This record gives sequence, structure tokens and C-alpha cells, in this order.
Amino acid sequence: MAEAGRARILVVDDAGLVRLYYRQALEAVGFAVEEALNGVEALEKLLRAPADLVIVDVNMPLMDGITFLRALRRQPLPLAALPALVTSTEAGAGDVAAARAAGANLYLVKPLEPAALVLHARLLCGVPA
Amino acid sequence: MPLIRARAGEAAALPADRASLIAALEGGSAGERLHAARALAALPGAVAPLSAALHVEAEPAVREVIFTALARLGCEEAADALLPLLRARQASLRNGALAALAAMPGRLPARLPALLADPDADIRLLACELARALPAPEATTLLCAVVERESEPNVCAAALDVLTELGGPQALPVLERGARRFDATPFLRFAFEVAIRRIRASADTDP
Amino acid sequence: MTDEDFRRLCDFLYRRSGMVFTEAKRYFVERRLAERMRVTGATSFASYFARLRSDQPGEVEPFINAFTVNETYFFREEHQLQCLSTDLLPARLMERPAGRPLRIWSVPCSTGEEPYSIAIWLLEHWPQVDAYEIEIVGSDIDTRALEAARAGLFGRRALMRLPEALIGKYFEPVDDEHWRLIADLRQSIHFSTVNLVDLAQTRAHGRFDVIFCRNVLIYFDEASRRMAAENLYENLLPGGFICLGHSESMSRISPLFEVRRFADAIIYQRPGERGDG
Ligand SMILES: C[S@@+](CC[C@H](N)C(=O)[O-])C[C@H]1O[C@@H](n2cnc3c(N)ncnc32)[C@H](O)[C@@H]1O
Repeated sequence: MAEAGRARILVVDDAGLVRLYYRQALEAVGFAVEEALNGVEALEKLLRAPADLVIVDVNMPLMDGITFLRALRRQPLPLAALPALVTSTEAGAGDVAAARAAGANLYLVKPLEPAALVLHARLLCGVPA
Repeated sequence: MPLIRARAGEAAALPADRASLIAALEGGSAGERLHAARALAALPGAVAPLSAALHVEAEPAVREVIFTALARLGCEEAADALLPLLRARQASLRNGALAALAAMPGRLPARLPALLADPDADIRLLACELARALPAPEATTLLCAVVERESEPNVCAAALDVLTELGGPQALPVLERGARRFDATPFLRFAFEVAIRRIRASADTDP
Repeated sequence: MTDEDFRRLCDFLYRRSGMVFTEAKRYFVERRLAERMRVTGATSFASYFARLRSDQPGEVEPFINAFTVNETYFFREEHQLQCLSTDLLPARLMERPAGRPLRIWSVPCSTGEEPYSIAIWLLEHWPQVDAYEIEIVGSDIDTRALEAARAGLFGRRALMRLPEALIGKYFEPVDDEHWRLIADLRQSIHFSTVNLVDLAQTRAHGRFDVIFCRNVLIYFDEASRRMAAENLYENLLPGGFICLGHSESMSRISPLFEVRRFADAIIYQRPGERGDG
């Protein structure tokens, strides 16, 4: 559960190491972090408790990141307007274009540097540094 | 008491022969295509029509049941039909094929070495995830080889994620060498640290 | 168990079931793990974990069992019953052609507590219950459980969550410890045998407006879960709903359903047919 006043970020990635890494980097600067392993779990979590930002990978089992974004943008407001940072491994033109079309706000190539992760998370959540 | 006792089920009559199922799979409504794909899987010679449908099917639910059907068939032909989809541009096709292949661990040992050495880093990365479906000793051997030679950080990270779950102490020397190679990438430094710590912990407590 | 072993185990449980255990639950997890290691004769965490990962011989089911409640009882997860009368049935009524009964499936129903709870709940809490025909079907693979369900004889534990007034209204005392459901109610539920992973058997049950499939899929392996979920998808009318158990998540089962949030529960829905259906 997010503490009052703390911006809450949902990290969606099937790699446990990635989720743990983001969690540590983001919690260190004061974000509250939740995790999901695929798009279906991300939707379940977001419907239970709102977030300020979702960071989502493309390749995931059962529901990939692109399909998740489309489902997210079909939800009722305010959920549909949740900022989404998409991460993927290759700057493959296919994934970037698909992520943009599906409603990504920002696309970053993995592996992320913690400083870049925190910077973009702050910008997308509207949290001052 | 307003509740009424149910009558026997009211399942609609559906075609069961191969020709009508293939016709339904090609031209039916979404519900009919979905049912046809599932029913077809019970008949011989299903791989070809199912994989053909996969390439043209637009409805996600129908694609999903085709992936499940191919996974259940689990034959060489089904595995070969799924492999090229790992290169699909659409993320949902890639990941559907990946899950179906992961559900046929018996077909993987013959195919994984080539996938793990593929020139396309994205394929190598998905192949690491497939190794999770193998018994721990086999997976450890394959993934240690990846860590030894891989230059792409994301592929190495994928191998580490699986090794963190299933790796045994024989992976430790490989991980220690690999950690030095990727020392300049913060995420990889972290990933190696966690993998080594976790494997060492259960190695220590083993009698 | 070391910290790292604890994380490894929790990661595995999470990946496989979606259940999350934090450091605060460590004692709970350790006790259950120790019990399973004792029963299986495992001498180290590493050897037990290897056995669990390979699921040989069938260790996942008893392991997950140790973390969940396997006992069924009346008004279990009452919030879902609340959701049924407040949101699900009204939503189904809007789609239902006149004259077609509303059909509800409790599968697996075990010894009957769940389908009977649905019946009692609707009689008590759904004002429109008299206006529509409602069929409730209870099915399970275990024929002895079904016999007990049909007999409708229950002990104190099964009734612990039922208000006294409802016990008085719907049950007749047999002795100090047992109550029998009144005949009217027993006869209002149709019980049948079904194996959830058998398409022909599930199909024979027809299509439903709402399916309760609670506390069974979590024990299945991945292939059986997907198979069962796809069978149940075909057992739902377009727009129909499926409710899972409290520790279960569709995110580990199947992507076929849409996730819906209602006031009282997260429920999954078969999408409506788009034009061509
Ligand atoms: C824990 S009970 C759940 C009862 C009830 N739904 C509840 O949540 O309280 C699990 C039931 O699943 C049934 N079951 C197990 N495998 C099954 C299968 N393949 N098909 C149908 N039922 C099954 C068992 O017989 C048992 O009665």
C-alpha cells in the first residue's frame, strides 16, 4: 500500500531481477513500488489500487506489454490516462512503433541506468527532484 | 421456491468432422473459430491447419486457443510450426509461441542450442526464457555457456534471471568470471550479485 | 532457511501462483516449508526446492495446499456473493433474451456448500429472485462429494459463517452437531459429475451467465489450467462472468478474459461478441 503523498509506481516485467532492481532504485528516492509479472496481473493490480505511473516491458507471458497498453487505454478514466513508460531490449522499430500506437508515453531501451529511470519516473509522475 | 432445477445442458450441436472444422476455422464467427480450433486439435493432422490459421487469425482469443492446442499436441511438427513465430513483429505472437514452446520441454533440448546461438539477440533472449522449462541441471549447463560467451547485456540478464531461480553451485565460477566482464553496466552488476548470492546461499546450507 | 532461500521460494510461489509473501510472513512460510520437508524427507532446502520445481512426484499440489484453505463452507468469500446480486446478475439481465433462465455454475462444488450458498444468498439478498427463472448447477469430479452434496447434511464447521436466523430458516436440526438442508432447497440444485479439463464433459453442461470456479485451478499444472480455463470460456455466454478463489489470479491461468472491477470484487468476463459472433 502506498503511503499518503508518495507517488506509486507499478513495475510490470516477467524478470524478477528487473523488478527487484527497479524497486530498489525507485524506493531509494521515495517512490512506493508495486510489481506485476504480466499484463493481466498489472490490470488486476491497477483496478484494485490506482498508480501514478506504470513501467512495462514488452515481452511477457500471457499478456505482453503492447496488448496490456491497449487494454489499459480502453479502461474508464482516470485509469485509461495513466502514464506508461515502456521498456524493451532492442530499439527494434517494430516494438517502438507498436508501443507508441498502443499509447506509450515514453519508450526506453534496456538495460536502464538507475539515474535515467529515476529521472523519467519523476517527470512522468510530476514529482519534483 | 423460485429457483428451478436445471435441465440437462443445452450445448449447441457443432460439426465434428475434419473438413467442417477446417471450414469453420477459416470462415466461421469468432466463437465458431475458437471452438473449431480446439476440436480440431483432437483429430490427426491438426498442426498444418492450426498453424496456417495462426498466421491469418486476428482475434486474440482464437490465437490463444491455437497456441494451447499446439502446445498440447507437443509433437515435433508443432514445435517446428511455432519456432518461426519467435521472430514475429507482433509481441503477442512472439510471446504466445514462446509459452507454447515452453509447454513442450521434451522438444527443447534439440532446438535450444541453435536458438541460444542465433545471430538475433532477441531470439537468444527468448531462448533463455525457454530454458526455464528444462530440468535444472540441463538449464544450468546451457545458461552457463550463455553467460560465458554472451556480449549482449540483455541476453546475459535473461540467463541470470533463470539461473537465479534454478542454478546450482556449478554455476558459481562462471558467474564470477561473467560479473567481471559486465562490471561497467549497473543492472548487470546487480543481476550477477543477486544470482551469485542466491546460489551460494543454498550451496552453503547443503549437507 | 537463509534469506536468499526464502526469496527463492517466494519468487517461485509468485511466478507460479501469484501469491505474494513478504518478510512479514516469513514465519508462516517457514513453518509450512518445514512441514513439507519433513513429510517428503528432504534434508536440505536445495533438495526440496529441486523436487518442488520439477513437481516430482506431484509436490506442487500439497505445497500450495499448505498455503491455502482447502475446506469449503457456507458463505465462503461472501463479498463475491454480494457482487453476484449487486452487479453480475443485473448486468446479465440487460443482455438476456426474454424467457431464457439465468444459469449459474458452481464448479467444483465439492460437498455442496457453495451452490447452496448461492441459492440462499439470492433468496435472501436479491429482490428480483422471484421475477426470473434461475438454474444453479453444482459439479465436481469427486462422486462421493457429490453424494454428500445431494444428501445436504452439514456439520457445525460448514455452517460457522451463516447467521443463526438463516440456519433456522433453511435447515432442520438432525442432532446436536448436524443439520439437514430443507428439501425444497436440496431439490433446487442440479448436481453432476465433471472433469474440468475434459472438453466433452464441460461442454455437455451448456452455457452459463456466471461461473464460480474457486480454489481448484491453483492446484493444476500450467497445461491443465489453460485447458480448464478454455473449457470454461466456452461454457460462458458472451459477456458472462467467472469468479475465482481468493488466492487465485487469472494472470497465472489465461489471458482470454477481461478483468472487471466491481464494488465488492475483481471478476473476469468473457468479452461480448464483436459483430461476427
Ligand atoms: C477446495 S475444493 C473447492 C470447493 C469450493 N469451490 C470452495 O471454494 O470452497 C476443490 C474441489 O475440486 C475438485 N476437483 C479437483 N480436480 C477437479 C477436476 N479436474 N475437475 C473437477 N473438479 C475437480 C475436488 O474434488 C474438490 O472437491
